[in-house]
Amino acid sequence: MMDLAVIIGLFASGIRFAIPILFAALGELVNQRAGVLNVGIEGIMLVGAFLAVACAVATGSPWGGLAGAILGGAALGWLHGVFAVRLKVDQIVAGIGLILLGLGLSGYGYRLFFGQGAPTQVPGSQRVDLGPLSDLPVLGPLLFSHHVLVYVAVASALLIAFVFARTGLGLAIRAVGESPKAADSAGINVDRVRMATATFGGAMAGMGGAFLSTAQLAGFVEDMVAGRGFIAIAVVVFARWNPLGALVVALVFGIAEAAQIRLQTLFDDVPYQLLTVLPYVLALVALVAAARSSSLPAALAKPYRRD
Amino acid sequence: MSAAAPAARSEARAAALVLIVGALILLGLVLAVGENPLTVLWTMVESALLTANGLADTAVRAIPLCLIGLGVALAFRAGVFNIGADGQLLIGTALAVACAPLLAGWPVPLGIAALLVAGVVGGAVWGGLAGVLKARFGANEIIATIMLNYVAIELLGWLVRGPLQEPMGIFPQSARLEEALRLPTLIDGTRISAGLIIALAAVLAVWFIVARLRYGYSLTLIGQNVEAARYGGVRIGWITVSVMALSGGLAGLAGIVEVSGLHGRIQEGFAPGFGITGIAVALLARLDPLRVPIAAFAFAALYVGSANVARSTDVPFPLVHIIEAAIILGFLAATLLKRKGGAAAP
Repeated sequence: MMDLAVIIGLFASGIRFAIPILFAALGELVNQRAGVLNVGIEGIMLVGAFLAVACAVATGSPWGGLAGAILGGAALGWLHGVFAVRLKVDQIVAGIGLILLGLGLSGYGYRLFFGQGAPTQVPGSQRVDLGPLSDLPVLGPLLFSHHVLVYVAVASALLIAFVFARTGLGLAIRAVGESPKAADSAGINVDRVRMATATFGGAMAGMGGAFLSTAQLAGFVEDMVAGRGFIAIAVVVFARWNPLGALVVALVFGIAEAAQIRLQTLFDDVPYQLLTVLPYVLALVALVAAARSSSLPAALAKPYRRD
Repeated sequence: MSAAAPAARSEARAAALVLIVGALILLGLVLAVGENPLTVLWTMVESALLTANGLADTAVRAIPLCLIGLGVALAFRAGVFNIGADGQLLIGTALAVACAPLLAGWPVPLGIAALLVAGVVGGAVWGGLAGVLKARFGANEIIATIMLNYVAIELLGWLVRGPLQEPMGIFPQSARLEEALRLPTLIDGTRISAGLIIALAAVLAVWFIVARLRYGYSLTLIGQNVEAARYGGVRIGWITVSVMALSGGLAGLAGIVEVSGLHGRIQEGFAPGFGITGIAVALLARLDPLRVPIAAFAFAALYVGSANVARSTDVPFPLVHIIEAAIILGFLAATLLKRKGGAAAP
């Protein structure tokens, strides 16, 4: 029963399920490395998911949708930055505000643009065709025939890892998150770096939402993010703020999601709800397993004030 | 002393600014639908506050929001961000409904009391679980409580199709609670149940804990400065677990009061978004138990008004969440200007 095709299918769809979480986790990771904790990325993903569909329909192009989701996500990330970095108020409460704002804006916009429960047809698919590579047995369906954003997400993880390891920018971000005071004396503008990472984190969450509504599923449904924004934060913690780790952990979550859906059809006498909870239970396990990590950025969620 | 006046003035200015910007955005959102904002506002106020039925609906909705808001306020005071009241409410209610058959034939007040206790226990276990994960393993309670919400939702989905389903087995819902287990109606002709008294009693109880007990003092101390509290001998782990249990217990109580006082049975989605609104209630009340019922009433009016607006105009219902977000963010901005005004003094 568990023949090769099933396993390939499982992993290929696991990759698809992992991508929205990976985008959001990478953005949150960079943001947290700079010392800003945004618990509201669930709301940003919702807005991204909605804008991707709305803008794709309005412009007739999936790229228009993606651009809308990135811009909207960046705007909300920036808004969180204004509260967390510039105004230096409680980052967690500001994030909770963002959860509600995203829920409200996406739901309001959706009913405004599409009416209640109207089906939405999202234009175009961006599945890549790598010619002979896509036709390869096993590897073709597994690795070389995904949506173009899948490759963008993986490339982002590699790029962010490179930036942190090898560039002055990465050093600056880490310095701001570990020891803002020292970074400040070294001439780094702490608040400016954090505003930039907050905005970047929002844009990435928006992109994750866009993938969810235009690539993984075809259309927007209210509250469709279903906790993935919070799972993304658990991924960041379990990956110990390492971008390549986040890639692997997000993949594990994606495969868990794909597996539970397959298990539902395989064991139809088991109540499906007991399988649906798998990703959420996995997130709890990840949080417990990552207990009291020493990799936690020292200045996380602490605003910086010059004395 | 001299700082108080400018601080108060700047806070008032901030509040005014927040109100103006927020109102302008809301105005724009309503105009975008093509409705007259004044009509919408009037419909909202009139339908929630100025008719007997509307006022009763608002009071009915305020009962669970008050109980949940009290629990959230308690946890937030200790710096424990319980945003999983929804899950705690569901588990508490499910446990109480599961116990209901055992309580058949009990004398009226005892049966109802036991039912409510079961609701509290279920919610306390679910909340306390997140507290243990945080205190023992350092698991972030925001993510833990949200994940437990999703687990609770699925669990309830299974229960109302399995062990707790009504004997006919048609609809995904429990059997109706027997009359002896229903909270009596408080005001004839309305749906306001004795839950109102329970909610107000809870306000006094939580106020007593916060203002009069050493425990409440420890909570506030942790919320203000964990290190200082630790140095002062406060047992942080114990407080984290117990305050999450208390918070969850109040959410469970809110759920079973809603079922026993209003619906009579449990089904999926019987308390949509109550938990997250409870957070807005607690923040609007500035985590002060005595202000929670007022904030709960305000948000209940907002819900009832928005639902009526959504029925009679083209303005979509999720406007509620945008207003809630505006209130939370607005309050953050207002406290900031207050702090700046005060900081100049010493």
